[in-house]
Amino acid sequence: MYFRFGAAVVLAVLVAVAGIAVEKRCLTLRRALTREHYRYEVLRDLYARQRLRTQQLGAPARLFEALESDRRELIARKPPGSRREQIASEPSTSTHE
Amino acid sequence: MSTEPLAADASGCDSSSSRLKAPSPRPVSGIVCRSEEDTAEQAQPWHPISRARLPERVRAESFIGGTRRGMIVSLMFLGGLAVAARLVQLQVVEHNRLAARGTRQKSYVEILPAPPGDLLDRDGRVLATSIVARSLFVLPENIADPWPCAQRLARALHLDPGRLCERLQQSDKKFAWVKRRLTPEDEQAVRALRLPAGTWDFREEYVRRYPQGNLAAHVLGLRDVDGICRGGLEQSLEVVLRGQPGRRTLYRDARGRVIDVPDDTDVPPQPGRSVVTTLDSVVQLYAERELDRVVEEWKPQGACAVVQDPASGEILAMASRPAFDPNHPERVSEDAWKNRAVAWIYEPGSTFKPFVVAGAMDRGRIHPDEEIDCAGGETRLASRVFHDTHPYGLLNVGDVLVKSSNIGMSRIGARLTNAELFATIATFGFGRVPGSGLPGEIGGVLRPVKVWSSYSNASLSIGQELAVTPLQMIAAHSALANGGTLKSPKLVLRTLNAPADSATNLPLATGVVSRATDHETARWLVEGPMREVVLRGTGTRANLPGFSVFGKTGTAQKLDSETGAYSVDKYVSSFLCGAPAENPRVVVLVVVDEPSTGGSHYGGTVAAPAAAEILRQTLAYLRVPPDESRDGPHDITAVRTPGRVGQAVPAVR
Repeated sequence: MYFRFGAAVVLAVLVAVAGIAVEKRCLTLRRALTREHYRYEVLRDLYARQRLRTQQLGAPARLFEALESDRRELIARKPPGSRREQIASEPSTSTHE
Repeated sequence: MSTEPLAADASGCDSSSSRLKAPSPRPVSGIVCRSEEDTAEQAQPWHPISRARLPERVRAESFIGGTRRGMIVSLMFLGGLAVAARLVQLQVVEHNRLAARGTRQKSYVEILPAPPGDLLDRDGRVLATSIVARSLFVLPENIADPWPCAQRLARALHLDPGRLCERLQQSDKKFAWVKRRLTPEDEQAVRALRLPAGTWDFREEYVRRYPQGNLAAHVLGLRDVDGICRGGLEQSLEVVLRGQPGRRTLYRDARGRVIDVPDDTDVPPQPGRSVVTTLDSVVQLYAERELDRVVEEWKPQGACAVVQDPASGEILAMASRPAFDPNHPERVSEDAWKNRAVAWIYEPGSTFKPFVVAGAMDRGRIHPDEEIDCAGGETRLASRVFHDTHPYGLLNVGDVLVKSSNIGMSRIGARLTNAELFATIATFGFGRVPGSGLPGEIGGVLRPVKVWSSYSNASLSIGQELAVTPLQMIAAHSALANGGTLKSPKLVLRTLNAPADSATNLPLATGVVSRATDHETARWLVEGPMREVVLRGTGTRANLPGFSVFGKTGTAQKLDSETGAYSVDKYVSSFLCGAPAENPRVVVLVVVDEPSTGGSHYGGTVAAPAAAEILRQTLAYLRVPPDESRDGPHDITAVRTPGRVGQAVPAVR
């Protein structure tokens, strides 16, 4: 009888310990899930900011100004016979052996 | 209770007690004195007392004691009953209410804001988007010493410590913003202060950002610091963009600290749907830059430009001046709010004339070959004298438009009855809201026929006595350009991440289509007189080598509010053009309100260069191939005449 009683007590304790372990695992997973949610939100915010920055940097207004100023600069600097034309018209001085 | 007899017997008790050595009797409630016999029997307190042997007096007293016990028991019973009743009341009758109250006390529902949807241009460039920003608030009632707190916060956030301290000292305030929309640097600075817990916190908010700056600001509108939409598509598409806020339940302890966040009660926020507009950022930029040049050169009261695809009715660009940067709503001036393309009216002047010609031709009242007497540049109609800029004699219908003869147009208009003229004007969409859906959009002024005067017919024929919006004007000219079909201006292409059936629910998807004029008439007007306007008429500054540009100038006197007559120095200059004439891909309208410098006020001088430049850049951007040699136009005499397919229009002089 004592053996049965002891076995029952041990069984109950084992069930309780298993329950605690499961609950602890559950809490750990919940913490991990919450952390992942938080990371996801942070990444989403970061994505939104980076996307905004990308769009600002790639805005036509900004690019056009840069392109047109470069073009104006090129036109201003371009001599009557450009270097490219000079190179093309000149005979090659390099020798390939 | 009678106490006197009992008090009198107290002495007897004392005398008998000396003879009895038994332990003092157990006190019985209500019996203080006993006879000797009884006392002997009660030497042992547990001895049962025979009520029959008790004397009468004692029996009476015993009765009184029994009554008291009964009363006590009754009271206890009643008390128990009351407790039971109260329990029933709390547990059964008021269960739901109290349970809800308990839940309220321990739980807190946090509203999770939904991010608004983005606004994109037709190529997916972001015109408006939202990012999360944190705003700092404090709880003044929890701050014991406001001044040091205000000093530290002000130093970190570059605020005025005095004003901040004043706000913190308002003891009646339980909540006070310190600074909205903190930058990440500000946020770090506040965290580094390590202020006492329970006195401050951050609140996350969605902040609207417009990465293209002031590009299409009037079309987009803006959202203020509280997320409230102000104007533009932001306001008209609010239902689509806003999304559904979510909620999360938090369980708190007695001190208000969060102890649990159950997952099963979470309702995640539903982000708003993103909307793809018909705008093209590049075309919009062309329009904005040209408007800026116009404003710089002519110093007008205002100006606007609209670019439309006549085939679909889609608005490619819409710009208005003065402009504003929606990223800084606090800097917007009062006059900059108005989108002149949809919320401003003007008398169109000569740009209106082709519609009257179309109406007369559709009804067979005039023929392109017909010559109109322009009376040498001056004629009287009732009490009013009509003038032309230059004196003309006989002009054919095409030349009346090319030379923009007011007298010739009044003669053409006179071929129509007032009702027919009204119907013609209304058919082109004037007098009613165009239907772009932008807030503040107006339908112009077109008075009913019954209030017309004797010269209203002539006035309307030259674009006076009515007021239109630039959007109405370009929509009507697009109808001519696309062969006579009036389409309502379209600003929204589609929504993203939307249910399949939601396209029909878009507040802007009107898509009204109606036949405004005959196809042949429209083609003749565009490829004939309106093309000639650019080649040799009033709009030569809009001629683009390689493209068959058509157009129409407009120079309208403004009404002087003081005199009630037309002003002699205030004009609205406008120009409408499109290309290629045979199959127009783009139509551009530029309207300049009161050009004040530059020495001219004519639409062909003030507005035409800007409109032509927008058109040139847009055609190049859309890769529309040139349809003419750069040396000159094709033979325009090959343009078909309405109703006489294959025959050439008489050569215009």
